[in-house]
Amino acid sequence: MAILQELSNDLAAAVERAGRSVVAVNGRPRTPSSGVHWRKGVVVTTDHTLRQDEDITITTTVGTNVPAKVAGRDPGTDLAVLRADGLDSPDSEFANAASLKLGHIVLAVGRGLSASLGAISSISGEWRTWRGGAIDHFIRPDVSIYTGFSGGALIDAHGRIVGINTSGLSRGGGVTVPATTVNRVVDELLQRGRVARGYLGVGMQPVRFAAALAGTSGFGGGLIVLSAEAGGPADKGGVIIGDVLVSFDGKALSDIDDLQASLGGDRIGKTSELKLVRGGQVLAVNVTIGERP
Amino acid sequence: MNGALAANLADLAETLRRSTVKVREGRHGIGSGVIWDSNGLIVTNSHVVQNRTVSVETSDGRQFPAKVKARNPQRDLAALEVKATDLPQTTKGHSERLRVGELVFALGNPMGLTGAVATGVIHALGPVEGLEHQTWIQADVRLAPGNSGGPLADARGRVIGVNSMIARGLGLAVPVDSIERFLRGEKEQPELGVTIEPVAVPASGRNILGLLVAEVVPGSAAQRAGLRRGDVLVSSGRRFFEQPLDLLTAIRNSPPPSRRLELELLRGGKQQSVEVTLES
Repeated sequence: MAILQELSNDLAAAVERAGRSVVAVNGRPRTPSSGVHWRKGVVVTTDHTLRQDEDITITTTVGTNVPAKVAGRDPGTDLAVLRADGLDSPDSEFANAASLKLGHIVLAVGRGLSASLGAISSISGEWRTWRGGAIDHFIRPDVSIYTGFSGGALIDAHGRIVGINTSGLSRGGGVTVPATTVNRVVDELLQRGRVARGYLGVGMQPVRFAAALAGTSGFGGGLIVLSAEAGGPADKGGVIIGDVLVSFDGKALSDIDDLQASLGGDRIGKTSELKLVRGGQVLAVNVTIGERP
Repeated sequence: MNGALAANLADLAETLRRSTVKVREGRHGIGSGVIWDSNGLIVTNSHVVQNRTVSVETSDGRQFPAKVKARNPQRDLAALEVKATDLPQTTKGHSERLRVGELVFALGNPMGLTGAVATGVIHALGPVEGLEHQTWIQADVRLAPGNSGGPLADARGRVIGVNSMIARGLGLAVPVDSIERFLRGEKEQPELGVTIEPVAVPASGRNILGLLVAEVVPGSAAQRAGLRRGDVLVSSGRRFFEQPLDLLTAIRNSPPPSRRLELELLRGGKQQSVEVTLES
């Protein structure tokens, strides 16, 4: 058989296979979004497309309609987890994002058995979303994320699920949240209904120091405190408005992301050392990390 | 292997390019057309040829005056005739067995380019929300206005449709089976006259797809055959429906002229069989 035809058959078979676990999520007015039947009775979709918390239903590709309940949402990774007991066992296999390469053929599969084709156009290591969620791999596929495609699956040419597509985490195209991250978020949301994140209770903005201050303090810049929640973790630790936070547990802070990265759920209740510049002097304070409300 | 793929693709594009023509209407813009047979039959979109005076240019640069022999504005199809006997005609595929995700290739003359090829996959099959109810091949392929009337082909280079419009970034093509019916002068398709809603029907330990009859059109073939609201259609000719579109396929494949269709259904929990005559 000609090679093009073989490839074509493989792609169609991959879509059919993955399509068995891709569902429509009726959780917003008008256009349904997509979701993936991830584990038995558990559907993963995108948080930003789920506009209601009640009266949600799931429609499978063969037209079965079942009710679903929200188990939890994580805006940080733009994922939401639904429970739909009426679903049969899913029949999905997962691809390891670590073995994906630039240029690999991938397909986005959406509700009602629909697909778009492309290639991996960018892939790298761990990153943090603008909403503060930690994601294991940055995966940008060069595929069209059509209306209703968010929450659907990115699959490889064998029909294995790479992750969940969303247009809600970046401008100008979709990204894919890899299966390992989805698994972690699903575990947390099923257990606790939310993904815990550390919290300082301050509003900040990055600043650069003038050469003289950079010389005396040993830091090139930091995060200036614009607001501190009364009774919040930073306030209790003695942080005041106008302080410039320069390091967290010894790690220099030059961007909000640097601080976000240090505030994982595992830090909650633990004490960290914050260095800050106040009146030209470097001070150290101890702060007990709270949990983001 | 990489070389083989590229060569395969180049051959396919070249074959398609030879059978794709430019369609000009007066001084208006350029559309595309497909050489349907070597004796001068060319298929294009109805909207590409609004007037009766049209000219066609083949890929080897020959110009022909063309006559519009037939058109169907609803299905956006037109048949042109040129005086020639040696045109490189396309190979035709079938639109029934198409699969979502399979590769497709569009040839045309978009944005002043000649014989440009675009690659993609079938995004979905069936009606498009917001458009009149008819079956489309919805392709995830980048098209531009000059693609109108040009061929959409499968991985073997067989024409499976004619590109007709772009909707929400998707290329919509009229399926080849519709084109063949149009060329034979047949009605678009016979109608059963029911509104259906997909439901899950428990059957011996698993769920099968049922099509719940939500409405029966008065005077329709369905009403004549005694179909009722609440009936759940499960198969046609003992072949179970796997997707709602399968009913449409069964209707389309019913043999002319009387177009009899065997339907199995559940009524009040009991299985029944009904014979529908679509053309009376």
